[in-house]
Amino acid sequence: MTTSAMKTAERPAAAPTEAETTLTYQPNVDICDCGREVLIVADIPGAHTDGIDVSFEDGVLSLHARVPARELPGRAVRQEYGIGSYRRSFRLGDDFDASQITASYRHGLLTIHVPRLPAVRPRKVEVRAG
Amino acid sequence: MSLIPFRTKRSSGMEGGNLTTLADFRHEMNRLFEGFFSRPTAFVPGWLEPTEPGQWMPAIDLSESGTQIRVRAELPGIDPKDVDVSVSGDRLMISGEKKSCTEESGEGWSHCESHSGAFSRAIPLPESVDPAKVTARYDKGVLMVELTKSPSSTSRKVPVLTK
Repeated sequence: MTTSAMKTAERPAAAPTEAETTLTYQPNVDICDCGREVLIVADIPGAHTDGIDVSFEDGVLSLHARVPARELPGRAVRQEYGIGSYRRSFRLGDDFDASQITASYRHGLLTIHVPRLPAVRPRKVEVRAG
Repeated sequence: MSLIPFRTKRSSGMEGGNLTTLADFRHEMNRLFEGFFSRPTAFVPGWLEPTEPGQWMPAIDLSESGTQIRVRAELPGIDPKDVDVSVSGDRLMISGEKKSCTEESGEGWSHCESHSGAFSRAIPLPESVDPAKVTARYDKGVLMVELTKSPSSTSRKVPVLTK
C-alpha cells in the first residue's frame, strides 16, 4: 500500500450535522492492501447497520456510525466509555471502483472492501523460457 | 496508572508498530482526560491495574440499581466463545483473547490499530453478588454482564423496635 493510502484524511469528508451534539470518536482500524482491493476493518461496537454510512468521494473513503446512547440503567458507578458517534476518513486515491465497494457489520466490526479498478490491479507477469 | 501500551503483540512493520502505539496513546489520553474532568472516581487506586502483565484491558461501564449490578465492556471482533466471565465474591473477571488481524487473514495487513492478544480485567464490584445469578450476553461487539447482589449484601430496611 502506498503511504498516502494509509494516511487518515486531514479533515472528514463531510462535516458533522447540526443535530450531532455528542462527541465524535475515531474508531480503531486495521487496514490491508490485499492487491485486488483494500480492506478496512473498523471497531464500531454497539452500532446498528442502518446507523452506519460509508461513502467514497474524490478518492476519500469516509465512514460515519451513529451509536445509540450507551448509558446503563441505574446509578453509574464507573463510566469509562464516552457517548458519541464514530467518524473517520481515509484518502485512498482514485484507483478504486466506487460502484463495487461493499461493507458488512458483524460482532461490532465494520468491514469495508474497496476493490481496485481492473486496470490498476497488480498483475503477475509470467516469464517464459526462451 | 501507566501510559505504557497494554499490548505486546504488534505488527512487525516499523510503521505499523508506531502507528498502533500512537493509536493506543490517543485512546488512553482521551480516556484520561474524560475521566479527569467528569469522573473523579477514575483515579481510585486499584481500578486500572491489569491483572496479568502484557495483557490489554478492556474499558468498562458499571452501574448499580436495586438488587442488580450491570457491567458493559466493548469487545469488538471477538468470538463470544473466546470470552470468559467469572465471578468470585465481590469481584468480576472478564478475560479472553482476540486474534490480531495479521494472524487471522494473512499478509497485506500494514496497519493494525485494534487491540489484539490476551486481555483480562478484574473488576471490583460495589457489593457481593450471587454467583448463580449472573448472565452474560454478547451482541454487536458489546459484552453485557448482569449480576444479582447476594441476599446478605442487599440493603434491607431494619425496623426500629420499641419496648
